[in-house]
Amino acid sequence: MADFALPKNSKIVKGIDYPLESDSKNTRKVNVYRWSPDDDENPRIDSYTLDLDNCGPMVLDALIKIKDEVDSSLTFRRSCREGICGSCSMNVDGTNTLACLKSMDDIKGDINIYPLPHMDVIKDLVPDLSKAYAQLTSIKPWLQSDTPASDGKERRQSPEEREKIDGLWECVLCFSCTTACPSYWWNGDKYLGPAVLLQAYRWIVDSRDENTGERLDALEDPFKLYRCHTIMNCTQTCPKGLNPAKAIGEIKKLQLERQ
Amino acid sequence: MSDYEIIDHEHDVVVVGAGGAGLRATLGMVAGGLKTACITKVFPTRSHTVAAQGGIGAALNNMGENDSWQFHMYDTVKGSDWLGDQDAIEYMCKNAIPAVTELENFGVPFSRTEEGKVYQRPFGGHTLDYGKNMARRACAAADRTGHAILHTLYQQCLKHQAEFFVEYIALDLLMDENGACKGVIALCMEDGKLHRFRGHQTVLATGGYGRVYFSCTSAHTCTGDGNAMALRAGLPLQDMEFVQFHPTGVYGAGVLITEGSRGEGGYLTNSEGERFMERYAPTAKDLASRDVVSRSMTIEINEGRGVGPNKDHIFMHLEHIDPATLHMRLPGISETAKIFCGVDVTKEPIPVLPTVHYNMGGIPTNYHGEVVTRNGKDQNSVVSGLMAIGEAACVSVHGANRLGTNSLLDIVVFGRAAAQRALKTVEKGSSHSPLSPSVTDKIVARLDKMRHSAGDTSVGEIRSSMQNIMQKHAAVFRSSSSMDEGVKKIETITKNMNSITIKDRSLIFNTDLVEALELENLMQQAIVTIKSAEQRKESRGAHSHEDFPDRDDKNWMKHTIMWLNDKNKTKVDYRDVHQNTLTNEVQSIPPAARVY
Amino acid sequence: MKSDLAKVQGLGSAKHGVGHWKIQRLSAVGMIPLILWFIPSLMLTIISGYNEAILWIQNPFNATGLILLLGTIFFHASLGLQVVIEDYVHSEGLKIISIIFVKLSSILLGVLSILCVLKIFL
Repeated sequence: MADFALPKNSKIVKGIDYPLESDSKNTRKVNVYRWSPDDDENPRIDSYTLDLDNCGPMVLDALIKIKDEVDSSLTFRRSCREGICGSCSMNVDGTNTLACLKSMDDIKGDINIYPLPHMDVIKDLVPDLSKAYAQLTSIKPWLQSDTPASDGKERRQSPEEREKIDGLWECVLCFSCTTACPSYWWNGDKYLGPAVLLQAYRWIVDSRDENTGERLDALEDPFKLYRCHTIMNCTQTCPKGLNPAKAIGEIKKLQLERQ
Repeated sequence: MSDYEIIDHEHDVVVVGAGGAGLRATLGMVAGGLKTACITKVFPTRSHTVAAQGGIGAALNNMGENDSWQFHMYDTVKGSDWLGDQDAIEYMCKNAIPAVTELENFGVPFSRTEEGKVYQRPFGGHTLDYGKNMARRACAAADRTGHAILHTLYQQCLKHQAEFFVEYIALDLLMDENGACKGVIALCMEDGKLHRFRGHQTVLATGGYGRVYFSCTSAHTCTGDGNAMALRAGLPLQDMEFVQFHPTGVYGAGVLITEGSRGEGGYLTNSEGERFMERYAPTAKDLASRDVVSRSMTIEINEGRGVGPNKDHIFMHLEHIDPATLHMRLPGISETAKIFCGVDVTKEPIPVLPTVHYNMGGIPTNYHGEVVTRNGKDQNSVVSGLMAIGEAACVSVHGANRLGTNSLLDIVVFGRAAAQRALKTVEKGSSHSPLSPSVTDKIVARLDKMRHSAGDTSVGEIRSSMQNIMQKHAAVFRSSSSMDEGVKKIETITKNMNSITIKDRSLIFNTDLVEALELENLMQQAIVTIKSAEQRKESRGAHSHEDFPDRDDKNWMKHTIMWLNDKNKTKVDYRDVHQNTLTNEVQSIPPAARVY
Repeated sequence: MKSDLAKVQGLGSAKHGVGHWKIQRLSAVGMIPLILWFIPSLMLTIISGYNEAILWIQNPFNATGLILLLGTIFFHASLGLQVVIEDYVHSEGLKIISIIFVKLSSILLGVLSILCVLKIFL
């Protein structure tokens, strides 16, 4: 059966409290999940009180401030800080998002930060995404086309055909959606998850791709695709405003059409 | 060094970095049958190429205006303020056309014209007929061209089953006693093991070092690790004084607003509501070259015509553009403006400020991507076994100032060139010569020292001092006195590296250690940058010297090359600018005054 | 010791799934008019008493509707329960046994309930 209870060593305990050493009025408490594989300790929640007058507006700014000024051992991924690289996906205030795009003003009360749910944790806020990356590889996410462009230049695509992949190719592979999906939580070993299915649909609907049929064949499976129960968490959580649930629906529709 | 387990790998080629340049090189090499390892400190699609917005320059002539690569070459040479090597620029502009067509064939989701061809938009400094009219040359995928290209290149690498080593940070090059490169040592972040990669060619595609500045459009990971590795390998860096300020970084946050937004009709105004670029660049106006626009904006602010309560920034307007066009052509920056400054671009202007964006300087190479150095009289002496491409390299196609869209072009063209060169020069599967253990020991010792540092200054503290010094003393305008002061300050702060402290003692995903290693890399480049700037007594491209406001072709039309020894002492020398072209299909472009 | 790719590619595609998905939705749609017809009728028969209810079922149109509804309900329920089991039961053996049990029980209950209707009708 699916495990509904946590194993003993994953019970989260209270961690270290880092109070603010100044008398600023504009403060905020940031509670962060900490876990390191180096010892046998349980995960803990460390609390850092920050002076918001000397901190950028985003959740990532707060994490960087903690790392630079309070506790340099805090571990998280980050890179572009403008929402395009997809590194800093994590669970903030109960929702998966990119920390760099999440304004602290949008959160009431303490700011609670956890790693992406239901993934193995490497350390602190760093999840192991290798399975999700392998799933991406498994759908052959590259242009498959045997017919060369007639004039040896670019393959032609009308603006209308091109518009069909808008809202799909912009995905930054942060896997916020995939790790927000209960179906993926229970069956992530077989179900491809919304991020990967969005990518699959991106190629199915690209007018330049010639292997649409084989792509649909490869997805027609009770687990790979049909574990999607239209729960819609994916669409609700996507920090880029994309709609993976709709893309999955479109794949199902295409499979129906060809019956 | 029993503490560290070392795992050995043997490949034909080792590529360090998986941005656009690294992936394009990896792809070409793997597809050509070379056993290639691609080592990267972040997952490939997280590299900073992903943030490029506006487009990639290539004279495809899809907009029917008789564009040609010769015009593109003229614009690039002029943009470089005649510091670019014309043979390399010819190579890049000519190969732009097949390289971009190839990208489309790989699957890049370019925006399209009505005829179904790749859409092209105007961009700063790109003209027709040698400066007479603005050209539409930037091939764009909305305003997320870098994202489109990077993801596609990664997909192609997956197709060809390229071998990636993800979240490995390269520590140093394996240099033998003859000064040849034999590979690289990298630290696997996930488990803390060391990996020794042997390759007949090692390709540095590690990007720029924008993070030496406090306010930059670059990602946190842009720390120029390859440049610093080259310095530590006893090689010089070239033209490091040339740091590009992008005119439109978001005020405060520093994130980028593409030049493509001005290409689509956006313009800048000062506190008087004046479109001041018309005064500084009567023809190109807001689409003048980036150094020109950044300088003009800084002059406006310095003369008291900045906007905002502190009169310290400039407005960029898009609200006159049709919302449907904004939605189709500039969706990303509409989102960025909303999130980072709460501005609805259809109604209000965006507050912007010149922000550090690109490093023209880097590891000197020829147009094949092979690293060169000056060896006595020989100015083009090839370093055996080492290549550099992308922002890490200085080919030099950008000279003193890069044109917008030429960075994506640079990475693709020279990534491709490096692969072609490696396929010619490397014998597949040939054996690797033995290497003295002392080479490895030295690298491991440096890592070990850093890992156990227990001083009293945090990485964040030193980094922020360094960034503030660079921001103040190597800015858009520079003066002798300010740079002298900057050099002194940087030398002082460099000493603090000995008192650095690391709290995280673990070997597993130790970002505390990684950031310390990156800081050391940044610091070495900061020294070389400010010292290169301090010695160049002229103004050229992005280097605006207040005490020497004019370009001095007689004395300074030459590349600075600078070495740094392990005591952080620099040595300077020069290389001639290649004014010759590669073929007789085009004439060398003689230096002229730079008017837009 | 398997690679990630080997694990996620698993046994490949089962090349079915759309049929199950389609029929589950069709049966759900089919039940809408049947239930809309059945609930008011049920109310009426409850109000009117036992004998009236027997008479109502003995009407051929009502008996047909009732049989269709019962068949669809058990068919739809077995499809739905199968998905629930596939979602949550991860031991292969237990999963197969549970699914067989659900299918057999729905057939049993379906046939039984339809026979009851027929008995009254005849």
